[in-house]
Amino acid sequence: MFLAWNEIVKNKLRFTLITGVLLLVAYLVFFLSGLATGLKNLNREAVDNWKADAVVLTDESDKSLYQSSLTLDQAKEVKADKKAVLGQMSAIANNGKKKTNVSLFGIRPEEFLMPSISEGNPFGEENEVVADASLKEDGFKVGDELSISSTDIKLKITGFMEASRFNASPVLYMDLDTLNRVKYGEAVEANKDRINAVIIRGEQQEIADDSLEVIETETFIKNLPGYTEQNLTLTFMIYFLFIISSVIVAIFLYVLTVQKISMFGVMKAQGISSFYLSRSVIAQTFLLAFVGVAIGLVLTLVTGAFLPAAVPVSFDIPTMLVYGAVLVVVAIAGAVFSVLTIVRIDPLKAIGG
Amino acid sequence: MTVLELQQVKKTFGSGRTQVDALKETDFQANEKELIAIIGPSGSGKSTFLTIVGGLLSPSSGEVILNGQPISNMNERERSQIRLREIGFVLQASNLVPFLTVDKQMKLLDQVKKGNMDNAELEQLYEDLGIGELRKKYPADLSGGERQRVAIAKALYTNPSIILADEPTASLDSDRAYEVMELLKHETKSKGTTTIVVTHDIRLTDYCDKVYKMTDGVLTLEGNENR
Ligand SMILES: Nc1ncnc2c1ncn2[C@@H]1O[C@H](COP(=O)(O)OP(=O)(O)OP(=O)(O)O)[C@@H](O)[C@H]1O
Ligand SMILES: [Mg+2]
Repeated sequence: MFLAWNEIVKNKLRFTLITGVLLLVAYLVFFLSGLATGLKNLNREAVDNWKADAVVLTDESDKSLYQSSLTLDQAKEVKADKKAVLGQMSAIANNGKKKTNVSLFGIRPEEFLMPSISEGNPFGEENEVVADASLKEDGFKVGDELSISSTDIKLKITGFMEASRFNASPVLYMDLDTLNRVKYGEAVEANKDRINAVIIRGEQQEIADDSLEVIETETFIKNLPGYTEQNLTLTFMIYFLFIISSVIVAIFLYVLTVQKISMFGVMKAQGISSFYLSRSVIAQTFLLAFVGVAIGLVLTLVTGAFLPAAVPVSFDIPTMLVYGAVLVVVAIAGAVFSVLTIVRIDPLKAIGG
Repeated sequence: MTVLELQQVKKTFGSGRTQVDALKETDFQANEKELIAIIGPSGSGKSTFLTIVGGLLSPSSGEVILNGQPISNMNERERSQIRLREIGFVLQASNLVPFLTVDKQMKLLDQVKKGNMDNAELEQLYEDLGIGELRKKYPADLSGGERQRVAIAKALYTNPSIILADEPTASLDSDRAYEVMELLKHETKSKGTTTIVVTHDIRLTDYCDKVYKMTDGVLTLEGNENR
């Protein structure tokens, strides 16, 4: 560290620059990871809140909640530790001032899908709903009457639950009967026992009905429209940034090392081992990368605190720490070229003839 | 006491028509407290001789014995250790680390080797070399002569048994060159080291105990002045 540290102190500008570059890359990586987590949450929050093990959909639905339609009689065939029925519909909700995409979830209040309330009261009577907390940021309040696209029925917000978004839309929970009246209008009598899915907690037994399919929660989420594609895109970008930062560090250190070849050669002539010199370069890289990544992390979190709620970033600290560690490791990998160069320096050439 | 001995040491570069016998079969001995000069025309094999003695280059044949230890067949790692422990190099080009102050040049050696001079000895060395005032300065802020003196301090700091200097005065004016030779002589006598200086400058041989002449790879003893 002696050599590494003294060089940094003497050549502050150089090393500030490389740390700055690493900082920016780290910032970008952390921000993208925040975006990835945020977008994931946007899609899966509601499902995560269920704390469910599996989702039962019709075989024909191809794992899509939207396309699945079954009856309460079929739901009875599902035998599990705990189960809950779910009806779903997408719509536009309007409180007179604002319109927003929503996902309407119809449930039975006595079953485990009933959300816990963070503000106001649970839905009780007909046409009452409990809304996702994120709607509060859009100006929705307890007591708001919502007009819903495609029906005359107005829904009244009686309370809010914790953040619950499904496939990027805020969720409104209501009684299954309310949902079906909204969903089927005139035809409600014929469809009043229609649901989209049965949600399962704990062990479930083989289902006799061939037309139903049990899907593990994680698989269900992965099959939400756009979810996997979005994730892959961001993950790919992050991995690409890892490679870029490794290359940047490699080039930068290599240039520095090449400039110092004769100095290293002289030191080797004096008997200072390649091991000591290489270790010094590695220590230097570690220090620069660590400082760059740490500042990048802090900067990301500070930026995050000032971002408007509309930006879907959500910072998952353990993931960020892993990415930070990866950045430090790839930076050190970038130093390998320099180490190889140092090992290959012939001290004889350095001292000349 | 004999510190260094060369037995039939030979170095050939290349082969066939491009073959160069840089150093022909050479026997050589150096004792402690001896300051030895090697002079000779360019391309005669002086640096080849010095780098073989310094364990930087392996001879094509023959043996180099340093403090009773044959070093020719050692691997690079072992020779690196020998260089660190036994040899102090003073080179024509600056052998200082540009981003370390004079003091830290010495501290660097403490990082890689034990048994260097203690503080009192270092102070004495600084005083002998007249560089006590320069200890906080970086090499770029030193004059050529000051840099050369720091390089000598660095070579001596590890208490080597042998000091090898390849044209240590090449970048200095005559007065400075004499000063450097005076210093090398002083250190050689007071520390009991062996010093071999390669030079083009005949006038500098006045300071030396023995003068060898290198001609086309053949080393011959010129004079034994014992001043
Ligand atoms: N690595 C090498 N490969 C081939 N030939 C070499 C090599 N090193 C030195 N020689 C040759 O060996 C001979 C002796 O070279 P050396 O460097 O020892 O001379 P020198 O006496 O130090 O000269 P100078 O006073 O110019 O430094 C020269 O002819 C040189 O060309
Ligand atoms: Mg030479």
